[in-house]
Amino acid sequence: MITIVAILFFLWQSPSPEVLQHMRAGAEAEKAGHFDAAIVEFQKVTELAPTEATGFARLGQAYLEKGDYGRAIPPLQHALKLDPDMAAAHQLLGYALLSQGYPAQAVPHLEKSDDVAALGIAQMEAGKLPDAVAHLVTALANRPNDPDLLYYLGRASGLLSKQAMDNLIATYPDSARTHQAMAENYYVLRQMPQAQKEFKEAIRLRPDLPKIHLELGLVYAGASQWPQAEAAFRTETELQPGDAEAAYRLGNALLQQGKAKEARVELTRSDKLLPDMPETLYSLGKAAALEGDNAAAEKAWKKVIELEKESSLAGQAHFGLAGLYRKQGKTAEAEREMGEFKRLQAAGTPPLAPQQ
Amino acid sequence: MLKKALMILLLPGLAAPVFEVKLQPNLDFILRNSPTPQKYLIETMPGGVALLDYNNDGLLDIFVVNGGRVTSPMRIPENFDRSNPSYWNRLYRQNKDGSFTDVTKEAGLASAGNGNYGMGVAIGDYDNDGYPDIYVTNYGKNTLYHNNGDGTFTDVTERAGVAAGGWSESAGFVDYDNDGKLDLFVTRYMEWDTKRSKTCGGEWHTYCPPEEFPATTNILYHNRGDGTFEDVSQRSGIAAKKGRALGVAFADYDDDGFTDIFVANDGMQQFLFHNNGDGTFTEVGMSAGVALSEDGRRLSGMGAVFQDYDNDGRPDIIVTELPREIYGVYHNDGKGSFSYRSLQTGLGVLSSGSSGWGVGLEDFDNDGWKDLFVAQGHVLDNVETIDPSLHYKELPLLAMNNQGRFERADPGLTTPVAGRGAAFGDLNNDGWQDVVMTVLGGPPQVLINRGGKQHWLVIKLRGTRSNRDGLGARVRVNGQTRFATTSGSYLSASDKRLHFGLGAAETAKVEIDWPSGKRQTLSDVRADQFLEVVEPEKP
Repeated sequence: MITIVAILFFLWQSPSPEVLQHMRAGAEAEKAGHFDAAIVEFQKVTELAPTEATGFARLGQAYLEKGDYGRAIPPLQHALKLDPDMAAAHQLLGYALLSQGYPAQAVPHLEKSDDVAALGIAQMEAGKLPDAVAHLVTALANRPNDPDLLYYLGRASGLLSKQAMDNLIATYPDSARTHQAMAENYYVLRQMPQAQKEFKEAIRLRPDLPKIHLELGLVYAGASQWPQAEAAFRTETELQPGDAEAAYRLGNALLQQGKAKEARVELTRSDKLLPDMPETLYSLGKAAALEGDNAAAEKAWKKVIELEKESSLAGQAHFGLAGLYRKQGKTAEAEREMGEFKRLQAAGTPPLAPQQ
Repeated sequence: MLKKALMILLLPGLAAPVFEVKLQPNLDFILRNSPTPQKYLIETMPGGVALLDYNNDGLLDIFVVNGGRVTSPMRIPENFDRSNPSYWNRLYRQNKDGSFTDVTKEAGLASAGNGNYGMGVAIGDYDNDGYPDIYVTNYGKNTLYHNNGDGTFTDVTERAGVAAGGWSESAGFVDYDNDGKLDLFVTRYMEWDTKRSKTCGGEWHTYCPPEEFPATTNILYHNRGDGTFEDVSQRSGIAAKKGRALGVAFADYDDDGFTDIFVANDGMQQFLFHNNGDGTFTEVGMSAGVALSEDGRRLSGMGAVFQDYDNDGRPDIIVTELPREIYGVYHNDGKGSFSYRSLQTGLGVLSSGSSGWGVGLEDFDNDGWKDLFVAQGHVLDNVETIDPSLHYKELPLLAMNNQGRFERADPGLTTPVAGRGAAFGDLNNDGWQDVVMTVLGGPPQVLINRGGKQHWLVIKLRGTRSNRDGLGARVRVNGQTRFATTSGSYLSASDKRLHFGLGAAETAKVEIDWPSGKRQTLSDVRADQFLEVVEPEKP
């Protein structure tokens, strides 16, 4: 909802007592929420003082507050004709025009006000998306976590993203980036065969695109096609040897296939590239356990617990440790870890879905 | 490794499909699950199949359980109108030429009860008269058919006191107290009826997950030996745990001489009931390491098998599940503890996109290692619209066991089906294990093993002090171990005979631990024969 900003009551240039009386009556009626009465009073003011901008501005504001945006526009325009620098009238007219579906016309008026949020919204509606995003970001900085602003920023960003993608697709329909963009859309829609096809085409055109093999690998992983996922992730790690996520994904794909030794190599590499990532450490523990390296598994899972403390991943690490200790015949330790796992389970954090 | 490599060289035919899908013109059964827009959960859950030699002619016969007629919506009281023959359960007698004859009516099995929607079947000779009896589980009351020994059966449910009620799923005969009489374990799924049914999935309009309905108890019936059973669920501790059970499998996992019970639960932790040896059980799934996945996640346990896949002499557990949940392989490490080995055994790749039901560990290529067969197909008949990477109809999984690691093989089926139950046995008595798999809305698939040149041995146990079929015995042959049971899989019952692949060996050493405690050893047993072993009378 548009917030109505009160207009400063300008000092009257030799107002007649009658004008002052109607002005006061209008202000009181407005304050009491009697907008029709306020409109009558301010109308009188404009008739008695037809060269004063303030009366027209107050009349426009009263219409706005009543919700009659259409009728608010003429007096506000007239006020600005009389006083083109009247910031409050610009702001009110901007609101009125925006509310009536004229965002492009609202923008120049809102630019003269200090309401960057309304300006951002008007720019979004007018299709000036980069400016809209910039102003909404500024507004959000002043009012963090405002749900309305978050909504409009999300919408503007989405529209900007769509606009860029539409532009890309229209301008370069057969480019790698176009196929990548289409693939990502299919991926979000869980239309995996189409996503796979588009990623492959993008790769055919530009096999060196950063992250493209990683994305294709995620499609395969989502369908549990682990050998194909492994191949895609491996290509990404070759292209981007410093990418910790690619190394983690490759390690996980190898792990899913029971290739524990190779998985450990990649997961260890990932951990070195980006240390102390709990998911990487958890998988590293699994790979070590699979290889029978209980000490390494214990170390990795204990680190997960240290980092995560009460999360579901910490619960999974406790569960892994319980199994490890049980296998070693360390009954007390196993029971302790199982107890921690159960405690976290009861706390309502369900274990994470399998990594893909 | 070398042995396996040589074998592959020696057996060029191994790459070819393992099974031939045998069309049986007289096997005209259609599993009528009657799907409706109401998405009653029962519609996607049947049905069982049993391989049994009901007339003791040496040939395996086939018994299949049918669903029932479901109306949309169902009226109360529920009536599944199974008077129409198309909704009957069916018994097919195998003839000497390998064909089958429908003997349902003459065997007295035509009446399944209109209040029942069929689910599964268990086979066991509960009165030790030498003829296998049939227990049918239903949504509704279950039915025990006593085999009269003359080709007919009599419904003895009421007298035996084993009707159960509610929604029963897999069941199995087991002599849990080693008194020589087969007892009966019945899994039950949940507290559900068509009146309480609902749909889930919003706009997708799907069957609801099990968590939407209250859990329930399983039932253990103790065989009194006079043709009646006593419900000992409470006394034994079985009823102390409520679950959502679909599968059950038996084995003595801790080698204490008493058969333990594994229960596959859907959408929750799995149960392992340790047999305390005094008529009571303790549920130890969590402490034994078989309750959850290795990540501590709850599983959608459906079918289960409790046999030794890695030839270390200890029974392991394999549980079939929904996609994105790898089929669980729980390796028996000894001392009552299991470790999760799904990834090491290769099942991460083989199963994470599939929904598994009936399951068996059988040595299909007679190389001395038990292979894995799983009937597959998603629960939701519209799953492709939700996730195109998943499928309502799937090919079964056949995975050959390469010294403890499973590798995909061609089962011989080319058309995906909504597989459910699966039973295993040697239908044509050629020494090579065959499979019968049930299919929702379709005929059973009879998969006949194409065979090969490896040697084999099939053992038929005849208990004297133990139960007549020796169920619960542990049999070791040339380093392999099998636990005698007709149970396991999903809703199904397999051939009671114990099949062993011997590879190149022409003789075998057979060691049997009978449920009575008697240990028996036979040396230099000739390969490639059906051997009946009688339990020594004297202790």
